[in-house]
Amino acid sequence: MGSHLLGWLAVALYTGAEALAIVSLVRPRALFARAVPLAIAAGLALHFADLMHRARELSSVPYRTLGGSVSFFGWMLGIAYLVLLLRHREQAVGPFLIPFIVLATGIGLALPDSASLPREGLHGSVFALHVTLAILAYAAFTFSFVLSMLYLVQNRQIRHARTGLLFARLPALDVIGRLNRTSVTIGVATLVLSLGLGLFWAERVWPSLADPKIAWAAITLVVYGFLLWMDRRGWAGPRVAVLSILGFGVVLFSYTVVNLYFSRAHSFR
Amino acid sequence: MMAGEARLLLLGWSFRGAEASRTVRERIALTSAEVREALDRMRGEGVVSESVIVATCHRSEIYGVSDDDRPFERLADLMSRWRGLDVAEVTRASFSREGEEAARHLFRVATGLDSMALGESEVLGQVRQALRLAKEAGSTRSVMHRMFESAMAAGKRVRTETEIARRPLSVASIGLELAAKVFGDLTERAILVLGSGDTGALFAQQAIEAGARDVRLANRTPERAEALACRIGAAQVAWEDLAQALEDADVVVGATSSPTPVVSREAAEAAMRGRRGRPMFFLDLAVPRDIAPDVAEVYNVFCAGLEDLEGVADENRKRRGREIPQAESIMEEELARFLGWMGNLAVVPTVNDLRARLAALRDAELSRIPPEDRERFRAFADAIASKLLHEPMRRLKSEDDTSRKLDRVEAVRHLFDLDRSE
Repeated sequence: MGSHLLGWLAVALYTGAEALAIVSLVRPRALFARAVPLAIAAGLALHFADLMHRARELSSVPYRTLGGSVSFFGWMLGIAYLVLLLRHREQAVGPFLIPFIVLATGIGLALPDSASLPREGLHGSVFALHVTLAILAYAAFTFSFVLSMLYLVQNRQIRHARTGLLFARLPALDVIGRLNRTSVTIGVATLVLSLGLGLFWAERVWPSLADPKIAWAAITLVVYGFLLWMDRRGWAGPRVAVLSILGFGVVLFSYTVVNLYFSRAHSFR
Repeated sequence: MMAGEARLLLLGWSFRGAEASRTVRERIALTSAEVREALDRMRGEGVVSESVIVATCHRSEIYGVSDDDRPFERLADLMSRWRGLDVAEVTRASFSREGEEAARHLFRVATGLDSMALGESEVLGQVRQALRLAKEAGSTRSVMHRMFESAMAAGKRVRTETEIARRPLSVASIGLELAAKVFGDLTERAILVLGSGDTGALFAQQAIEAGARDVRLANRTPERAEALACRIGAAQVAWEDLAQALEDADVVVGATSSPTPVVSREAAEAAMRGRRGRPMFFLDLAVPRDIAPDVAEVYNVFCAGLEDLEGVADENRKRRGREIPQAESIMEEELARFLGWMGNLAVVPTVNDLRARLAALRDAELSRIPPEDRERFRAFADAIASKLLHEPMRRLKSEDDTSRKLDRVEAVRHLFDLDRSE
């Protein structure tokens, strides 16, 4: 496989953006605040070029392998963050979210790609859309995880009247709550679509739909669906944040343990 | 600092003066109309060629440019005659600064470093108002204008680049800040104030000044709530309708003199049921408490008491103090920039700069012609430049009015772009 030079350059840019975001959090400067989205956007462009390069080498979608899928997940997260930054001008989430982009991209680049030929059926627009939507859903749930952690931190600071740096910089609970609701709604909607497309596609190429990964995707949907229901039933607040964190645990389990050890045909390898 | 014979000066009376001179300070304190009159009087008596007066609750400060031998004595004399005070007392109660120190004092005032509440923001508006009044009175020229604009720029930078003005010091502001971190914008949130005594009135007033549009008052004696509501532009809620009022309120402020809590846990739970779980923020400013301690245990209910808020106020005072070195460094940076500009306003450096600029232009043109002709053309160009500069420079040097001289030097520097760094 290739050296992923462009991918590593993207990691360097993401890391630079993280450093700027931290400096900006401690000492707000308009210059640094403007530089963060620029560094992320430049990183995303290089990262995209790396994903294209990977796709050419695999002669398939870049996320057919585990490394490719994790790298693509990092790219999606970067896109989602850029949208948040440009739309809501919310600077304070950056220092806590960008590490996930760096980590996912770095792991995605470091994992070796198998040189196997494309497996039967792993191509076509339905398959591509299914995986893209699934990874987008995971990115949205990661976003929700970070926002939920920030919600709990800010909630605690207000309750104890601690008005330090984080209190001053983190958004109001109402704002974090709304962003979290949007993230989970996007995550649930894309996961439902991904699951639907996946089932439609699998029915044609698989002998049976009894698959642990499908089951865990359904469990993930139940957890986040329940979260949205709770949110509407007046439980908005720390309980929703805790459930979102638990939901992210399910996502991680599904993406790692289930993907690698329980699901043979249906996995990124 | 010197610009010809002109000196920057400051004569002031501020809260930092001795307690014994408080009466003098209070009698010298000027209203906006009196500021205009004072500026006219100073100009009329020819003490200063330009002047601005910063007048706030805590200070009356006269800034000016003067080439008078005894400007402070004459200004003190003018003020004492005008206000009917003894000149010795007026002088004793005052402080004075000259040159760079006068400018530094203004920069300290504009950045909030000289304020009673360190870093307070209102003073920047007061400095802006002072310059506006002086402009209207026609008492500012290039130096005062530039000095005040530079001081305001320093004030803005200190407020954006440091934390010195970001941490509130009053209990009401801290309470509002905590509530704002729950709800985001408080403008459209319903704020219910229980009690219409001094504490309740002060909080309601501050909330409205901070932009809250929906402030409601409830008091056991409805007449008091009604009078206060009319005065500050709030709404009134009947004490009998408290249960419904609690349900409708996002922020509830306890400020009654009731010996027992006014809001019980049961009342808070009932309100939360009606609100379908939407958060509530209780701010207890009353002693003894108005909000029962176990209200804080209700899901999505936030409570802050007086002791919490006072703790934050102490911490904020310390935090503002820690920002002083950075604020001073920004202030000095802006001051140095102003002093650099001011230093260039003298006639001699301006003439030298102008000669150097013309020499550079001459050399650039000479480089285009054959070397054998250059000496001849150099002499020719120098003769024209010298003749061209002679009359304007003579007039510049012989100008008697200090401020007019500074204005003209500034105009020459501007027209020939002499402050451009090469």
